[in-house]
Amino acid sequence: MRNRLAVSLFTFHFLPCVVPSAYAMHISEGILPFNWAALWFAVAAPFVAWGLLRFNKISSVDLSFKPLVGLLAAVVFIISCMPVPVPTAGTCSHPCGTGISAVLLGPALSILIASAALLIQALFLAHGGLSTWGADILSMGVVGSITGFLVFKFLRVIKMNISISAFMAGLMADWATYLTTSAVLALGIRGDAPFLPLFWKISAAFIPAQLPLGILEGAMTAGMVVLLYKKRPDLLVKMRVLKPEEVTP
Amino acid sequence: MHVFRDIDKQNSWLSAMDARVKLVFALAVLCMVISYKGFAFPLMVLACCLGGCLMIRVPLRKFLLRFSEPMLIASVVIILKFFFSGQEALFSARFAGITITGYTDGLREGLAIACRIMGAVSVMALLGFTTSFTDLMSALSWLRVPKGFVEILMFAYRYIFVIFEDAQVIYTAQKNRLGYAGVRRGLVSFGTLAGSLVLKAFERSHAITVSMIQRGYDGNIPMLQHRPFRPLEVFVSILTVCVVGVAWKIL
Repeated sequence: MRNRLAVSLFTFHFLPCVVPSAYAMHISEGILPFNWAALWFAVAAPFVAWGLLRFNKISSVDLSFKPLVGLLAAVVFIISCMPVPVPTAGTCSHPCGTGISAVLLGPALSILIASAALLIQALFLAHGGLSTWGADILSMGVVGSITGFLVFKFLRVIKMNISISAFMAGLMADWATYLTTSAVLALGIRGDAPFLPLFWKISAAFIPAQLPLGILEGAMTAGMVVLLYKKRPDLLVKMRVLKPEEVTP
Repeated sequence: MHVFRDIDKQNSWLSAMDARVKLVFALAVLCMVISYKGFAFPLMVLACCLGGCLMIRVPLRKFLLRFSEPMLIASVVIILKFFFSGQEALFSARFAGITITGYTDGLREGLAIACRIMGAVSVMALLGFTTSFTDLMSALSWLRVPKGFVEILMFAYRYIFVIFEDAQVIYTAQKNRLGYAGVRRGLVSFGTLAGSLVLKAFERSHAITVSMIQRGYDGNIPMLQHRPFRPLEVFVSILTVCVVGVAWKIL
């Protein structure tokens, strides 16, 4: 047991240098067996349907909403393709961008935006995959968005500063995504081996990249909200991120 | 981004095939690959798809870019399974006071997963290399993917390049002003970059809506019209899926 632990420590000092962390948040095409892939599709589908219902409802009364959601999907796509150097891992990683969309548009539309960005990446960049689309939606879209949104709302309810709330929303959305990805991966590749040891090993492998990256994602979300607050507070009110009385004239 | 842009420039009989037929074919083969437990079938699919990529003369750089990430992930999975999963020890060695053990069954499982990854990625790569985005969107809408979702995809795809160029301009400007000198400053600059992109997205979406309304936009975006199915194409595809299905069953 002690030996296994030592080998784990050795390997996870080495593994993060090998893991293509630039795509760490996305589960690669084909890595999940059929039954797991189908299960994650079934789990993610109601959330995507929820997003679509909300999207159709709002876009039927506001014609500018479709282009807005499409453009935000493009922003999330680009943010989640941005390679960011992670010195501790000696490699690059990328933020998710779902914290931003969850804070701005709420979890339902954020899930939809993440699904669209993930599908384009899967089809044309081999970043994620079509068979793992459900699992990727679950980790990056559902868990990331809902966590980011709830953290932001909770901190705002307890009267926390807007930039700290946004920072924590981005940070927690990123870390929640990475933990879910680790769990989904461990379940998919464990075979007959027990789940928990493999889950901890995969999580440990991603820590050197994802810990600093979560901070980066938090800073990015905070920077975005602060910039909008300074330049276009009306948009934050329109998106119901802030109440009208919170915006100083 | 260049890899992304060159995709629809391929010119071959595979590119000329109906996107709906290619998509259904790819989904069928993908299901077979991920439901197979072993090496032979995914390797056969990989070989066929690589042959297809060679046939349509996919540039080597583009090809390597597409496969580099899955290959690295496959290697990591093999390492994980070899050293941390299994019962039958293949070898055991002491290194710096630590005993490292490799497991035969772990290696077998790891290799099977790696083959599955490469087989599945090759199917999607061939589909991506031979199908343009608009054709694929039109095929998705034919497959009854909700229209709203397809519209989001089309808007996103249209503006990825525009926003990417904006991001590049802002990033270069920030870098020239030492915006990324130091961790704290870098974090602030990165936040401003993301915020600026979101602001631009808001402003652009408003401008796009105005210009679309002026051109008669009523909330509906027309999809690409499908030409009728070509019977030969459909017949050959069904036959190929059957052959692949038999291989999946007997291998």
